[in-house]
Amino acid sequence: MISRRTLLRGAGAGALVVAVPVPALAAEGLVPNVFVRLDGAGRITATAPRPETGQGVRTVVALMVAEELAVEAGDITLEQAPGDTERFGSQTINNSTSVRQLATPIRTAAATARCLLVTAAAQRWRVPVSECTAKDGAVCHPRRGRLPYRALVRGAAALDPATVPVELTPPEKWRLLGRTRGGRVDARDAVTGRTRYGIDSRPPGGMVAVVARPPWIGAVPDTIDDTATRAMPGVVDVLTLTAPAEGQGGVAVIARSTHQALRGRDALRITWRGGTPAADSRAWLADLHSALPAQSPITGLQRVYQMPLLAHAPMEPMNATAHVRPDGVTIWAPTQDPGGLRTQLARQLGLPTTAVRVETAASGGAFGRRVEPDPVLEAVACSRRAGAPVQVLWTRADDMRHDSYRPMSVHRMSAEIGADGLPVRRAHEVVTWPLTVLPIFNNPALIKASGDHFPYTVPGDVTVTVRPAPLRTGFWRSVYSGQFLYAEENFLSEIGTRAGLDQVALRRKLLPAGSRLHKVLDTVAGRAGWTRPPAPGTSRGVACLEEYGSAIAVIAIAEPGSRRVLRVHAAVDVGVALHPSGVRAQVEGCVADALSTVLGAQITVREGHVAESSFGDYRWARIDQTPDIDVTIVPSNAPLGGLGELPYPPAASAIAAALAGDTPVTGMPFGTDVG
Amino acid sequence: MARYLLRVNGERHEVDVEGDTPLLWVLRDELGLTGVKYGCGVGLCGACTSHVDGQAARPCVRTAADSAQTRITTIEGLSRDGDHPVQRAWRELDVAQCGYCQPGQVMAAAALLARDPDPDDAAIDKALRDNVCRCGTYPRIRAAVRRASRIMREER
Repeated sequence: MISRRTLLRGAGAGALVVAVPVPALAAEGLVPNVFVRLDGAGRITATAPRPETGQGVRTVVALMVAEELAVEAGDITLEQAPGDTERFGSQTINNSTSVRQLATPIRTAAATARCLLVTAAAQRWRVPVSECTAKDGAVCHPRRGRLPYRALVRGAAALDPATVPVELTPPEKWRLLGRTRGGRVDARDAVTGRTRYGIDSRPPGGMVAVVARPPWIGAVPDTIDDTATRAMPGVVDVLTLTAPAEGQGGVAVIARSTHQALRGRDALRITWRGGTPAADSRAWLADLHSALPAQSPITGLQRVYQMPLLAHAPMEPMNATAHVRPDGVTIWAPTQDPGGLRTQLARQLGLPTTAVRVETAASGGAFGRRVEPDPVLEAVACSRRAGAPVQVLWTRADDMRHDSYRPMSVHRMSAEIGADGLPVRRAHEVVTWPLTVLPIFNNPALIKASGDHFPYTVPGDVTVTVRPAPLRTGFWRSVYSGQFLYAEENFLSEIGTRAGLDQVALRRKLLPAGSRLHKVLDTVAGRAGWTRPPAPGTSRGVACLEEYGSAIAVIAIAEPGSRRVLRVHAAVDVGVALHPSGVRAQVEGCVADALSTVLGAQITVREGHVAESSFGDYRWARIDQTPDIDVTIVPSNAPLGGLGELPYPPAASAIAAALAGDTPVTGMPFGTDVG
Repeated sequence: MARYLLRVNGERHEVDVEGDTPLLWVLRDELGLTGVKYGCGVGLCGACTSHVDGQAARPCVRTAADSAQTRITTIEGLSRDGDHPVQRAWRELDVAQCGYCQPGQVMAAAALLARDPDPDDAAIDKALRDNVCRCGTYPRIRAAVRRASRIMREER
């Protein structure tokens, strides 16, 4: 048995700075910590500290609390924490860390409540704690019977939590975690339209602003004629936003309704200056090529891969609502980092953090885009001007043309091939851009650390050359792994094809002994019937990745002639799959991203601006292009791993290799000009 | 500004808006029906899919003026308690991830099943191919439409 204090302190490392139990003060309830509380009627409320963007974190929090408190997930009322790092620790969702970092603190928080209730019952009955068990919302004793939580709340609240040892429910006794039954806790809201996303969070009396954004990269307003706009019905004000303090910059039209704001924006007459009106992504790609070192460190087989710009394009376009008052500010935002946002706003506005409230709305997708605060900064500027709550809404074209894009990159792969056809030495030379939204990424070592996860035992070097980014770039699901692994796995596939080697066997041979990847690779090969030859007209691709504390192998089966992907098999080892349906969903989602980006979705820049503006030209995959997806969760004793990003790079690699058949892949999208 | 009489989810509403206001913004801004989602505004993504006179339609590309005298059903009006067979099937198969496109997907699927109670995969793909899901829930959507079809058959 471990003491609760030890556990909570241990959990604080990197995850939760403060989860120190607060002894119950309220006479009516049991409030052992910031995550779990019971009211006088025994009703359980849990707080999800990190935002929900579709990754399913709220469901996992509810399952963990329900598991430890011996109730069903549906018995938990789930609240979403506002931004508050002092109470909740880091609230950012990035690098696939949420479940890994929350599992111990949340389970411990709920187990604390359970142990207090059990102790209260034991004291009431004057029996040893060890004879009492929690079950179905009550504490039970073989002879004394059963006391529901509501009868124990007062007694539990009177206990000093420091005197009550806390024991987590061991995995072999789990009823909910790791079980296949049960979907998401928000499933009913999702299909009835009741989920309140950021876009649905405008308070009564709130106004709407839309922003006229630069027509080419880097432009700023020169002259602004807003006469016609100001004369239009419903238009309240027009103001110039200056980057970076007020977001990305532009001219905002504040109006009573969305339609009036949009019409008002259409009527603005603005001239723009500065920036790069001739920018072209084909020229950017040529620049990346020209920055490759003159000579590769290895002579042998060589192939150059090129990767396009990609937009996040979450279904819910960027938006944020702010209400700036003399004494503080309230924000309603779909954000990946409510706590960091609050801290940044307090600093930027010169307010104490207690004067900044960030209400965390559900996000209609995020994919890395919503770690950035720019829509919130725009909303703050507009609300300050209007003296009322203002929601800034980005249109789809705004969202697609003013994103922080995944960087373009060029990868020169070289390998010395041994007599058996396998690579004996390798070189991977990368030329790419940094992530402008986080200046520390202007560092080749950091880019290499993010992207370099080559899992095979082939000695060699990865070198990164960084060129200045010509537009905003940011975190996109899997970050640099997506580009690096795509080049590496496709190059390995080409090596195997040239030597006539079996793609699974050669990978098995090159994986280090004891690698977690052996088991997932063997599993997925079995699921895909790898030992049988592919059906006529079809071909297959395979790829592996170990990252985020998890391991995955993917096999794709495609019909190159029709450019159709027929099936994708994946086997994952995430240590402990707390919510199996959610684990499968993350794999399915990454496969959809992989399919989309391999089959043709890319961002291009012509005449200074992003050419794509919506889902008509940013060709994200549709249901009729979607293959069957078979996900196997491999049992494992490894610690809890992350999964939100892991499947994307190998899925893209395997899909491209399958579509290519015996021809080499040279870039993403496959078979289309890049840039 | 002009007044328009709309019939939405079985109720009559009078709204006072410019005639060219997209029905999407009338439903969201004027009537508070925020289950109707804005995704693109130009009829390309299907996030706002609702029913107009029983057919799947996109409120972002219809105006308030077009919509007078039509019968509009939004996700909020599909069923009383969220227990339409399509909604039940969606829950059973745990379809939603972020959920943002799902009101539109559910409405498109309900319209499909109303005219074709037993669609094959090709019919499902055809009916839903212009409803974009950025989370990649398509395999579950396909399975859930088939499941909803079975629920409807069993309960007929």
